[in-house]
Formats: sequence, C-alpha cells, structure tokens
Amino acid sequence: MRYARTTQLWRHTLDIEPVLEMTDVVAGYHATDLVLDGVTIQARPQQVTAVLGPNGSGKSTSLKILAGLLFPREGAVRLHGQDITQVPAFARRKLGIATLPQGHSTFPDLTVGENLELGGWVFDEPSQVEEAVNAAYERYPILAENRNRSAGSLSGGQQRILEVARMMISEPDVLLIDEPSVGLAPKLVEQMYEEVRKFKEENRTIVLVDQNIGAAVDLADHVYTLAYGRNHLDGNHREFEGRLSGLVREWLQF
Amino acid sequence: MAAVLTDLFDPLLLGQALISGILLGLVYSLMAVGLSLTMGIMGIVNVAHSVFVLLGAFAAYQLWESLGLDPLLAIPVVFAVFFVIGVLLQRLLIRRVQDESQSTGLLILFGVLVAVESIAILGWTTDTRVLSADYGPSIFIGDFIIGRSRLVAGIISLVLVAALHFLLTRTRWGKGVRAMAQDRQSATLMGINVERMAEIVFGLGTATAAVGGLGLALVFPFTPQGHIRWLAWAFLVVVVGGLGSVRATLFAGLFVGVLETTSGVVLPFELVSTVVFTVLALALVLRGEGLAGVQRRSI
Repeated sequence: MRYARTTQLWRHTLDIEPVLEMTDVVAGYHATDLVLDGVTIQARPQQVTAVLGPNGSGKSTSLKILAGLLFPREGAVRLHGQDITQVPAFARRKLGIATLPQGHSTFPDLTVGENLELGGWVFDEPSQVEEAVNAAYERYPILAENRNRSAGSLSGGQQRILEVARMMISEPDVLLIDEPSVGLAPKLVEQMYEEVRKFKEENRTIVLVDQNIGAAVDLADHVYTLAYGRNHLDGNHREFEGRLSGLVREWLQF
Repeated sequence: MAAVLTDLFDPLLLGQALISGILLGLVYSLMAVGLSLTMGIMGIVNVAHSVFVLLGAFAAYQLWESLGLDPLLAIPVVFAVFFVIGVLLQRLLIRRVQDESQSTGLLILFGVLVAVESIAILGWTTDTRVLSADYGPSIFIGDFIIGRSRLVAGIISLVLVAALHFLLTRTRWGKGVRAMAQDRQSATLMGINVERMAEIVFGLGTATAAVGGLGLALVFPFTPQGHIRWLAWAFLVVVVGGLGSVRATLFAGLFVGVLETTSGVVLPFELVSTVVFTVLALALVLRGEGLAGVQRRSI
C-alpha cells in the first residue's frame, strides 16, 4: 500500500497496460468548484478496481469522468492507450464502456422488454438486439416473466436487475458501477455482488465505486482510496484486507 | 334568444358545424402537436411556437403569390425549411439555456416571438392576407357542404399527425425519444446521442407547426399579429390533451375545433374567442397548477 501524495508512485511500471485510465484529472461541476484535483485511476484488464472514500471525496465524480458524463478541466482519459477525453458519454457505449449509475435509471413508462431493447441501441442489426434480449431473459427469468410490464411497476430489486441486464445487452468489455447495493434488501445486495463477480469471471474490466467497503474490497483486485478530491491510498487486494477498520477510522477524521 | 335556441337544435346546422369542426380540429392538432412534443419530451415551453405557424402560413402565401407554387406542392418545401430552422434554433439557442431556469428559456423564446413578429410585419405589413389557392367547388354530401380547401387542410394534417404517431410509437428511433423523455442521462448511457435527438424533435416540432400554419392559411385569412390567437389555441390543445402524446393531441385538437365551430353556430361570432379562451382558463384552473399540472403521458 502506498501513499500517493509522496511521489508519482502509482505509475506501476511493472504492471500490465491499463484498459481504462484517467490521469491527473482536475474537474468540477461549476466554474468555481473543484471536486477532483489531480486524480489518477487505472483499471487493469479483467480486474475489479474499487474506488473508495468518504462522502464527498470524489468517487462518483471520478466514475462520471470515466463514463464521459463530465469532462475534465485538466488531465486525460484513455481507453487502451487511446485518448478519449473528449469523447461524449453516448459514444463511449459503442467503444465497449457501459455504466450502471447510482439510483433508479430504468425508463419507467417503457416495458421491461423495451428497456432491454434500448440496451442494444449501439447494435446495427435488429437481430443482434433480439438475440441479446433473449439471452438476458434466460439469465434473468424474473425479467422474462415481466417483459410486458412497465419498468416503473417493478419492485426496487427487480428494477436493479433490469438495470444490470440492460447494461449487459451490448456486451461491454468495461463496466463502470456506482453504488450497486444502495437501497436494496440484504439478500439482493448479496446477489448484486454475485453478479459483479460473474462479470469479472467473464473477463470484463470493472470499476466499482462503493460505500460498502467490505464487499468492495472482497471483490477488488486493486483498490484506490480518495480523500478531498485527491488520490489517497492505492494498493492491491492483499494490502487492504484486514485493514478496513483502520481505513474507516481514518476517514472519520477527514 | 329564441332564435339562438332554434339554431342550437337545428340538426343540419349542428351537423355542418361538426364536420367543419372536425376538419378544423385536425389542422389544430397538427399546429399544436409540436408544442406538446417539445414540452413533453424536452421540457421546453415554446412560447414562440405560433410564430412558426405564422411563418408557415406566409411562406405558403409567398410561394403561391410569387412562384405560383400550389400549397400542396409547397408542403415538402415548407416542412424541410422549417425542420432545418428548428434544428438550428435548438442547436444554437435553446441548447445553451437548457440548464438554466425555465424562465430563462421562456424569456428567450418570447424574444424570438417578438423579433419574428416584428420582422413579419416589416415584410408583409399588417394587412390581412388570403391564400387564394382554389381546389374547386365545395362538395355536397346530402345537405352538408364541405369546402375543398378545408378538406385538403384536414387530410394533410391527419396524414402528418398519423405519421408522427407512427414514428414515435412504432420505430426504434421513437423508442429512443421516449427513453430520452423519461431519463436523459440513462438514454445517454445507452448510447443515444440525445443532443442530436433533441434537435430532430425540435425540428419536427417547428416543421409540423409551419405546415399547420399552411393548413390554417387554407381555411382562414391571416395577419402577422393573428398568431397570438393560434398560440392560445395550441396551448388549449396541449392543456386538454396532455404532454408528449400525439394521439391525445389529436383528440384534443378535434375537441377544440368542434368547440369553436359549434359555439359559432350557437353564439354570435364575436363571442367564439371568448368561449375558447374561457375553456382554456377553466382547463388550466381545473388542472390545478397551470401548465405544470398538465398531465404527462407516455407517447
């Protein structure tokens, strides 16, 4: 585990090339605020990269930068080494980056089936969409049962499953997941993390922003912590295991 | 009073008013559907909507007077030109203020309304114009008379409104529009270029308004200031029909058209506007919170 402030230690020269990375990103929502002040996050191939930190540390904003929902003032975003800093969010889906945003994100007045079809917007052929939607029905029978119901009429947990299934329709390589378990019943929380684990087994690269530190570290291959919009700690799974209580105690002092 | 009551129960007159009202109502639907869509899908209260109705009427008039182009043949021209104008307006003006408060957008669009109306007065003066394209003598069905211009205007409007309904409910693109209306960020994350889509929706809104104006010009005489009345009519259609639903807008347009013609039979001509405006006021009061209370329907 390293303290990022000292030097540019997070440039892991020995590591494999990251799939998706943001480097020295400075960003904010208005001209006057500074939410991220030089944050660097690297998502390595087929790994789960967890981004943790206290409230207001800039975790979700970092994910927005990776998703393209917010453009950095300074710094760069790269996908497989290619600069995508200025690529808008909608175009990143076609590049294989899919995002599961925080909170409800279904289209409530559209049916479950229509929601899933929209997950395949980037496909050119209607047959591709149909195939992917059928695969989703197979994987999540609860969605097949409710395919003609409006998404808004589903329970919170079912909506979350729909959101996950819809994200996966386009077969993305990179998943950006923001607070997957917020507002869910304990049993569903477990199921959510189980899904993330499966996506990892399918060789996808995952960036996970989470308040549920224990679950996130369990899943993560690599962990970043942020504080006050800056990189704080950075290390692999082993280095963080067993030190969670210390971490939380430290955050409480911020 | 006795005469009024006899008229009221004259089935011939009422039937005639109903036919005229339905044809007129179809034109009102087309004129108003863009307002309903831009408000329901993008949350823009386009108070400048009626200047596109006005410009559509004058464009058809000018194409007819200067080039002898039949209004029917002018439809594709008017549609295309105003589609582009709408796209540019969204791209260059509205997009810049969409994150500001709604009153900012309202003021800017009001500015557009004043500017366009002033320019129209400079160009065409305040004289009353008539689009004198002639589609032959009126058609008689039994005792009922149907003016050909009105029939043509009604049919054009129905075709365009139906096409719009089909586009929004049956196509993949239409599903994307509905998704954008419900959750803009989620739609973006699905890979939908919502900025582009908003431009097209606004373009369709202005193009249908302009062709609606062309239809109205076939039915009524018009002046550059007369569009305020059409704006009120369009808002009435939207308030009655709700936001974002083409089908509901169609029925609301028919309601307003029939309301206008039947009250024209029953009441002195000068009172027709009063009736329609009273219904608008009542509808707004009954909806509870003015325009904000207008029911949002899925398309």
